[in-house]
Amino acid sequence: MLTLYVPILMLAALAALFAGFSLVMGALAGPKRWNRAKLQAYESGIEPTPQPSGGGRFPVKYYLTAMLFILFDIEIIFLYPWAVTFRSLGVFGLVEMVLFIVTVLVAYAYVWRRGGLEWD
Amino acid sequence: MNAAHVLAASTVGAGAVVAFWILAVISVAAALGLVLAPRAVHGAVLLAVVMLSLAVLYGVAGAPFLAFVQIIVYTGAVLMLFLFVLMIVGVSAADSMRETIRGQRLAAGLAGIGLLVLLALVVGHAAIGPAAPAGSNYGVLNVQRLAQLIFTRYVFPFELTSALLITAALGAMVLAHRERTSPKPSQRDLARQRVRGDHPAPLPGPGVYARGDAADMPALLPDGTPSPLSLNPVMARRRGSAIRVPGPGVPAPLPPGEPGKDGGPDAEPDREGAHP
Amino acid sequence: MTSLSGALAAATITPPHIEYGQLSPLLVVFGAAVAGVLVEAFVPRERRRAFHLVIALGGLVAAFALIISVAATPSLFAHGSPGHVVAMGAVGVDGPTLFIQGTIVVLAFVSVLLIAESSHGVSPFAAQAAAVPGSAEEREGLLRGISHTEVYPLTLFAVGGMMLFPAANDLLTMFVALEVLSLPLYLLCGLARRRRLISQEAAMKYFLLGAFSSAFFLFGVAMLYGYSGSVSLSAIAAAAATNVSSATLLYAGIALVGIGLLFKIGAVPFQSWKPDVYQGAPTAVTALMASCTVVSAFGGLLRVFYVAFGQLTWDWRPAMWGVAILTMLAGAIIAITQTDVKRMLAYSSIAHGGFVLTAVVAATAAGLSASLFYLAVYGLTTIGAFAVVTLVRDPAGEANHLSKWAGLGKRSPWLAGVFAFFLLAFAGIPLTSGFAGKFAVFQAAAAGGALPLVIIGVLASAVAAFFYVRVIVLMFFSDPAPDGPTVVTPGLFTGAAVAVGAAATLVFGIAPEPLLALASHAAAHLFVR
Repeated sequence: MLTLYVPILMLAALAALFAGFSLVMGALAGPKRWNRAKLQAYESGIEPTPQPSGGGRFPVKYYLTAMLFILFDIEIIFLYPWAVTFRSLGVFGLVEMVLFIVTVLVAYAYVWRRGGLEWD
Repeated sequence: MNAAHVLAASTVGAGAVVAFWILAVISVAAALGLVLAPRAVHGAVLLAVVMLSLAVLYGVAGAPFLAFVQIIVYTGAVLMLFLFVLMIVGVSAADSMRETIRGQRLAAGLAGIGLLVLLALVVGHAAIGPAAPAGSNYGVLNVQRLAQLIFTRYVFPFELTSALLITAALGAMVLAHRERTSPKPSQRDLARQRVRGDHPAPLPGPGVYARGDAADMPALLPDGTPSPLSLNPVMARRRGSAIRVPGPGVPAPLPPGEPGKDGGPDAEPDREGAHP
Repeated sequence: MTSLSGALAAATITPPHIEYGQLSPLLVVFGAAVAGVLVEAFVPRERRRAFHLVIALGGLVAAFALIISVAATPSLFAHGSPGHVVAMGAVGVDGPTLFIQGTIVVLAFVSVLLIAESSHGVSPFAAQAAAVPGSAEEREGLLRGISHTEVYPLTLFAVGGMMLFPAANDLLTMFVALEVLSLPLYLLCGLARRRRLISQEAAMKYFLLGAFSSAFFLFGVAMLYGYSGSVSLSAIAAAAATNVSSATLLYAGIALVGIGLLFKIGAVPFQSWKPDVYQGAPTAVTALMASCTVVSAFGGLLRVFYVAFGQLTWDWRPAMWGVAILTMLAGAIIAITQTDVKRMLAYSSIAHGGFVLTAVVAATAAGLSASLFYLAVYGLTTIGAFAVVTLVRDPAGEANHLSKWAGLGKRSPWLAGVFAFFLLAFAGIPLTSGFAGKFAVFQAAAAGGALPLVIIGVLASAVAAFFYVRVIVLMFFSDPAPDGPTVVTPGLFTGAAVAVGAAATLVFGIAPEPLLALASHAAAHLFVR
């Protein structure tokens, strides 16, 4: 049973090793020149989104993004067991899943048409 | 291979027992910390520890699907949502420990102890039989069997969860999305605005000097005065920033040090290396 | 491993069998809700309300017709069968369920009328719920006269969940139904157009406490699963009849599931959310909650305790006795001190929940039919009462403080008269439906051996009658306040809601027999197992 997890554990160990290595080697080998700009949040090169000073409160639009992400994350969770048993489920499994996805797509259509996916 | 799998699934190996005892201690300790931590962010991090411990426990107990759902949905998505909400509330927000209702803490404590005693008595008296032997639903076949249940026996509640998801989308939009009442400015509008504004050309870059790439140092104008426009306003507003960017129309204060005499980079001479 | 997956791939899974005909009322309501979301997505704002009205009201009418056609199916109840278990055991279709679903659909129809009321230029819902109360954005939205039309699909989702909740034949489906009915209600509570802060506070309270109670319910389900190895109600009943070895899990499960269900009813000591939420929510939503949600929650409670725990009556009855007594007394006594008409009605709703619980503890067909009748007539009366509340207004919105209702009978005798009639029905005065309902539940409780409960119930009714009559006296025998509220002319929809409530209260008060007969016919074979 636990052998199921061996590849995953190995991957996790590799990832941890890589992360640790990068940090340690960076700390050891890199030059250290302090610069306030380096403490900024990195937002892919654009100027960081303005935040109110003093610890700051995020705009609520981040919440919408996170919530929508969770919705479709949960939808995807149901796809895993479905994909694994796709062959034995046959046509009715396909119909069930299409029905489910179409229903959730209605929510997507609503969010999209109302501008919930736009960032302004 | 098959036989080994089935055998391993039906007996609880020593590894599983060890894993249980380690994770039990970690998760209970983290859960206690979660409740007791006054800073919400610390609570969220401890919650992640609890969730990951649970995920590993599920995995050890032969429920790989649940283990990964726990990681993907709960640790990955729900906890991120918690963190977003904490950001919205304010990272530095801490619980107020002041009682708003007199005697509430005492009453809650008494009720909690009472419940604890009751539960201890009940659980102490409970004759919980031996756990059902791990059937073929666990282990390697877990996902298949689960799929069989979801898509046949429980297909109706499964389809119904889509109603929940739609409701959640509606709710998120209603509560967090404000529709524009005016049309969004287009590229053309923005360009026009820029050309008609004060600075059709790009703003000056920050001062870059020989001793360090000080992106938080203003560039110096030809007459030696620092240009506030050269700084990123977000960075300049940070706490501890030496330079305050003044509002429009207010003359920029000079950085510490002698202006005009190569002053910019030498303003804080020992910064370099002082903060590793 | 490869041979294993190969064998699995070969083994096809038998497709589930879904009885679409018997599920059609549910499917229609959910379909209408999804259609409502599509309207939100694709129809321009100014035409949405009309689309929503057609879809929502049409869907509910269609669902009602389908419920009747299912109930009239001869094969469903052939050979004295109580009904069918459909959708692979997820849903039970039987007499009591169909009665409850029919009741919910009718009550929801009237509630949707209240929700849709906008004859005075404004709907009862916020222009932009995301705009901070008191902000410039809020004012802008109000000035443009817009409002959230998402309330229609949300209401339909809630109604669909409410219809499924009493029909759910396993605890998993029941939990999903509980969430489907609760989530939209949490949202709807926070969307009031006026007094938005108190509305948002109500939504927050309802959400937190509701999530807490859902956790209790889920914990109980886990206990029962651990006890019986199944979430199906009939399997739990079967396990309870044979397996006595780990009864602790069973009792813990009963207690926790019971807490989750009693919370939705608002029984004492799980009532604390009710006054705050009823007061803060938009009144149309309060009407929906006070009628449909209560009916649905009682339906779920009845099914769980009659089917899954039907053999354990002796075990849960003492606790249910205590809850019923507390609920009746606390609801009636605390209501006396209320100065807000919506809070008063909330406590009255708590007390009425206690009256129905007296019939639930009887655990007989008579108790079931009395509960069904009571829920139906109480729901119609309570919607009417809240519809009246929406009509008494001052410049700040609805005038809910009782002092403002002083002398209302002198200014608008008709409206005050109708409200007085509803209050008399709540008090259980003869010739109102409330009397017939109380008589039915107390009779069933007495026949079921709960005479002390009946005595306490009558006492609580007397206490309750005091504050109902006090409001009537206030309306008719006090001088109107100079800056008192104005009574707006009811629009078509609100007028219809008031009329339906009043007519039902009168008709079922004078001639309750047909509905009583229908309820007892529906309850004759109890629930399907």
